[in-house]
Amino acid sequence: MGKRIAVDPITRIEGHLRIEAQIEGGKIVDAWSSSTAFRGIETILKGRDPRDAHHFTQRFCGVCTTVHSMASIRCVEDALKIQIPDNARLIRNLVMAIQNVQDHVIHFYHLHALDWVDITSALKADPAATAKLAQSLSDWPKSSATYFKGVQDRIAAFVGTGRLGPFANAYWGHSAYRLPAEANLMAVAHYLEALEWQKDVIRIHAILGSKNPHPQTFLVGGMSIPVDPDSQNAINADKIAFIGKLLKKAKLFVEKVYIPDLLAVASFYKAWAGIGAGVGNFLCYGDFPMDESGRVESFYLPRGVIMGKDLANVMPMDEAKITEYVTHSWYRYGSGDKVGLHPYDGETAHAYNGPKPPYDFLDTDGKYSWVKAPRYLDQPMEVGPLARMVVAFSSGHAEVQATVKMVLDRLGVGPEALFSTLGRTAARGIETLLLAQKSELWLQQLADNMGRGILAVHNGDKWDPATWPKEARGFGYHEAPRGALGHWIRIESGAIGNFQAVVPSTWNAGPRDAAGQRGPYEEALIGTPVAVSDQPLEILRTIHSFDPCLACAVH
Amino acid sequence: MLEIRYVWEWPVRITHWINASSVILLSATGLFIAHPFAIIGVETMAWARLVHIVVAYAFLCSVLFRFYWMLVGNQHASWRAFIPWLTAEGRRNFVKMLRYYTFTGKKISYEVGHNPVAALAYLGIFALFIFQIVSGFALYGQYAPEGFWGGLFVILNPLVSSQYLRLSHHMVMWMLLGFLVNHLYSAWLMDVKERNGTMSGIFSGYRYIEPEDL
Amino acid sequence: MPQHSPPQEQPLDEKLLQRWEARGVSRRDFIKFCATLTATLALPASFIPQIAEAIEDKRLPVIWMEFQGCTGDTEALLRANQPTVAEIVLDLLTLEYHETIMAAAGHQAEEAKSQALEKYKGKYLAVVEGSIPTADGGVYCTVGGDSALNIVRKICGNAAATIAVGNCAAFGGLPAAAPNPTGAISVKDAVPQATVLNLPGCPLNADNLTATIVHFLTFNQLPATDGLGRPLFAYGKRIHDNCERRAHFDAGQYAEAFGDAGHRQGYCLYKLGCKGPETFHNCPTIRYNEGVSWPVMAGHGCIGCAEPGFWDTMSPFYRRLPQVPGFPVEATADKIGVGLVAATAVAFGAHAVGSAFRKGDAMESDKVIKED
Ligand code: HEM
Ligand code: HEM
Ligand code: NFV
Ligand code: SF4
Ligand code: SF4
Ligand code: F3S
Ligand SMILES: [Mg+2]
Repeated sequence: MGKRIAVDPITRIEGHLRIEAQIEGGKIVDAWSSSTAFRGIETILKGRDPRDAHHFTQRFCGVCTTVHSMASIRCVEDALKIQIPDNARLIRNLVMAIQNVQDHVIHFYHLHALDWVDITSALKADPAATAKLAQSLSDWPKSSATYFKGVQDRIAAFVGTGRLGPFANAYWGHSAYRLPAEANLMAVAHYLEALEWQKDVIRIHAILGSKNPHPQTFLVGGMSIPVDPDSQNAINADKIAFIGKLLKKAKLFVEKVYIPDLLAVASFYKAWAGIGAGVGNFLCYGDFPMDESGRVESFYLPRGVIMGKDLANVMPMDEAKITEYVTHSWYRYGSGDKVGLHPYDGETAHAYNGPKPPYDFLDTDGKYSWVKAPRYLDQPMEVGPLARMVVAFSSGHAEVQATVKMVLDRLGVGPEALFSTLGRTAARGIETLLLAQKSELWLQQLADNMGRGILAVHNGDKWDPATWPKEARGFGYHEAPRGALGHWIRIESGAIGNFQAVVPSTWNAGPRDAAGQRGPYEEALIGTPVAVSDQPLEILRTIHSFDPCLACAVH
Repeated sequence: MLEIRYVWEWPVRITHWINASSVILLSATGLFIAHPFAIIGVETMAWARLVHIVVAYAFLCSVLFRFYWMLVGNQHASWRAFIPWLTAEGRRNFVKMLRYYTFTGKKISYEVGHNPVAALAYLGIFALFIFQIVSGFALYGQYAPEGFWGGLFVILNPLVSSQYLRLSHHMVMWMLLGFLVNHLYSAWLMDVKERNGTMSGIFSGYRYIEPEDL
Repeated sequence: MPQHSPPQEQPLDEKLLQRWEARGVSRRDFIKFCATLTATLALPASFIPQIAEAIEDKRLPVIWMEFQGCTGDTEALLRANQPTVAEIVLDLLTLEYHETIMAAAGHQAEEAKSQALEKYKGKYLAVVEGSIPTADGGVYCTVGGDSALNIVRKICGNAAATIAVGNCAAFGGLPAAAPNPTGAISVKDAVPQATVLNLPGCPLNADNLTATIVHFLTFNQLPATDGLGRPLFAYGKRIHDNCERRAHFDAGQYAEAFGDAGHRQGYCLYKLGCKGPETFHNCPTIRYNEGVSWPVMAGHGCIGCAEPGFWDTMSPFYRRLPQVPGFPVEATADKIGVGLVAATAVAFGAHAVGSAFRKGDAMESDKVIKED
């Protein structure tokens, strides 16, 4: 007889996630993923000005913070057939890229690392040996013994107070921790460094959009940040240089700290290349248009679908094949809960029928989550860095192929290792590296445009609602840090008639559908070993490898 | 036999004209505040706001004085003149006037002061005056929430939100302008069609009255 | 701007400086840090030593709860600069519970919360991010199987003070926007008897949070507030009255369209819907992300994110005035107003025509005037 456990809250994520799992013989045999919070923003959006939608949707999430603005703006632009100026494309690429880069680094160090790194063991490390280890990995300047000694002292002083604050009550000493003390100390040092780094580099959002989180810079038709080399109130040479400096800083840290740490940590946890595979279907909308047209064919990260881990076969993506189910979600559809609805016709009628709080377990045979269950051709799909990397890899993307191969070689594993908890974490690092490097090109192109006197940032032809058709509908895509993000809008008489978002974490964290198929989190947990059922560290590892964001998923 | 009667005492006339010119100036500057355009080299918005606020103070004084006069002035100036339908006769006259305006009756009700329909309109207008003054000074007070006006209207912001304060301040301007159209037409109607000296009365204070009609 | 006020020469306690040095914080950085905080709090420089004392190892226990939020305020905290989040987490506070950051999960996390509640009853600071849903027994947000409403009552009810961070916690924010599907309310409305300080913004500015915490550490009480529970040091003045573009407003120089010459030259954004004239916040003076920028500086109008109900009252965001309630989206206040005046004019015009044709009502015209 197995044991039913509930992990709630899943911490070090965004939002309210609860995992229930059935454990038998030290392994998970069934799992349920549930989000326990709902705001109803799709309902709140109805009847409002479509040009305002991005401000509202941006607040789906303050972690991925720019991405819903992007998708909302694009769905309105798609509906109204608006072509944006080239500068707007470049600024958007920069904003999106640095969002991905910063978000991924935070995820790795601050949300995911403590699943692999035992902070308390760092106290036992030898600073000199740590320095040696760090220096063997990269020529990052902050790798001296004194530096690591300083970090260790700081941690020791902190631990010495007996008040561990956010580090209290964790699974320290758990048998699943495998890193040597020195690697732990190095990771703790970089945890602190990354904390500094992320706030520095994200100032790119402040320059291009006033602040982060929640930059205020997107517009239907372009961007609101002016570009003008002859003005002190616009993006000028000075600000280009500032952004350039920050991009360099971002790239250096990724190249010299994040990737080496990732490889070093991963090499101790290779068993996790065989755990947490998930559904094996991957969906990627693609993003980062490389020319002014904004055509899908120009995307730096290509669009495509892979089914059943078949890397030899990338299929084209057709958004018409997407539906969302609420069979196991706390909503009601007008046409019954067994059907799937395409987002254009999506409904958000909340109908909670779960247990009355406080409760111990959910009724997982019925409805058990606020996340809907999106399906592509009625199949559950994984989205995210791994989906992007495998789609690009299989599409013959030279840079992705080279970087993926480098990582696999360094770890001494084959491509099948990608379909795992470790693979997901590695894919995130790979794309961080690629985007950090690519951003410099977009900045350069923006500077070139300015040099040629191209200053437009906004296409205002369709700004006035009087120019709009009585009815229009559009799809807005984006590759957010956590994966494929889509917004669908129906515009009716100048107002929002219907607005539906299917978010990366909706895909990944969703519950079962009408056919009873598990969502990606649920599927990935099947077979995961759990050494101590009371300390489900392994559950955190696999779930964190997706980088959950539940405010996004439910909205 | 027509009599000439002294109806509008000087404070009524003075405040009437201060109010009338204030409404016009405040609407003009208010419209500019709402839809500014630049005149090169002129601090246009600063001036518009200055004029708006200076006139607002004049308007405030005038309205307050008129309220005072409602308590001490003659029967036509009194606050009672604005609620004539409290008496049976007032109600009769009100219906009579309404029938006249809607072409269902031919006789106007002769009044020395306001006719009962106009009185209703003026009551509304005075309410709008108060509304504009309160919302206007509440908006004005926001530049210094710790100041006099800021303190006086401190509850308004949480209650209505300054955006709705602004919107209603703006909309009431249109209501006042709507009244003006109505008011000028009615004055013309009474003056030209009924020849009772309505127009000149508000200048001179005298009206032509046929005592038998009363 | 506080960020740029030079470090003052102040007689700070030598031992104290040494202790910070031992922790890896140089004396120059520490003094600068205290000076910045003092300035953000709008206190004179003579308070610097007191501030320095206050942040010396009092390590205030904090329980940070998130409910119907987006974690934007937590992210804002991660961007804190003076002090940095590392300093906050390691040196200034003990973050007893914060779901986004803490290592423990599940019931171990919940245990950490109850332990802190017991151990520091009446002494800890509660911080709340996100609104609290009240409809249908609070089922729209649960943590560890219990409702946000139950949790917030328990935790804020036993705190020394509560800070509501972000518009959602302070005023209900986005979840409470019409039609408020989940009955979302603010912390103060959920726990009326608690001492609650509101730090709205969407998200809040982390500098205002650190300044508030230091104020609390220094004076053992929360800073003075306005009628909406917002500290005056940060919400006492309108954006519009401190805006760097105010001269353009007064001069009548407005950006007419995004990207036009005026927009590029930093003209006032009033006509593009800026809500600076309606919003109380210190964005123009302290800015965001280490003083790099703020919305107006980046060419986008303020959307009023520090005001109650701003999602409804400040929108449509690209128009100055809100929608007239009960009218369709395209009907602006002026369209309705002009319509009203025109309709009156037409009605009275028609009436005039009617009057002109009516006979026999101008009967007094021939009578003789009797002088008084
Ligand atoms: C008949 C009376 C009045 C009319 C027709 C009027 C009209 C207006 C209009 C149309 C606006 C622009 C609103 C907008 O679109 O934002 C405005 C703004 C304003 N009014 Fe008035 N107003 C009147 C009386 C007053 C009074 C008595 C005050 C008292 C001080 C006042 C103070 C203001 C202020 C402070 C503003 C905002 C100015 C700014 O934001 O710079 N108004 N008014
Ligand atoms: C913005 C412009 C105006 C406003 C707001 C306004 C307002 C008023 C008000 C409130 C009264 C009631 C008098 C009182 O008891 O104090 C009144 C009376 C009167 N107003 Fe005006 N007025 C305006 C312009 C004018 C103009 C331009 C005229 C004439 C040419 C005029 C003619 C009169 C007359 C004749 C009366 C007395 C009518 C009666 O009692 O039947 N008004 N006006
Ligand atoms: N899932 C998700 Fe997001 C991302 N990345 C959104 O689209 O995190 Ni908040
Ligand atoms: S106030 Fe804004 S940033 Fe904070 S939780 Fe609410 S939506 Fe997110
Ligand atoms: S930009 Fe906004 S806040 Fe600044 S002066 Fe103009 S209207 Fe005021
Ligand atoms: S939108 Fe918010 S950030 Fe400041 S400028 Fe306006 S209050
Ligand atoms: Mg949705």
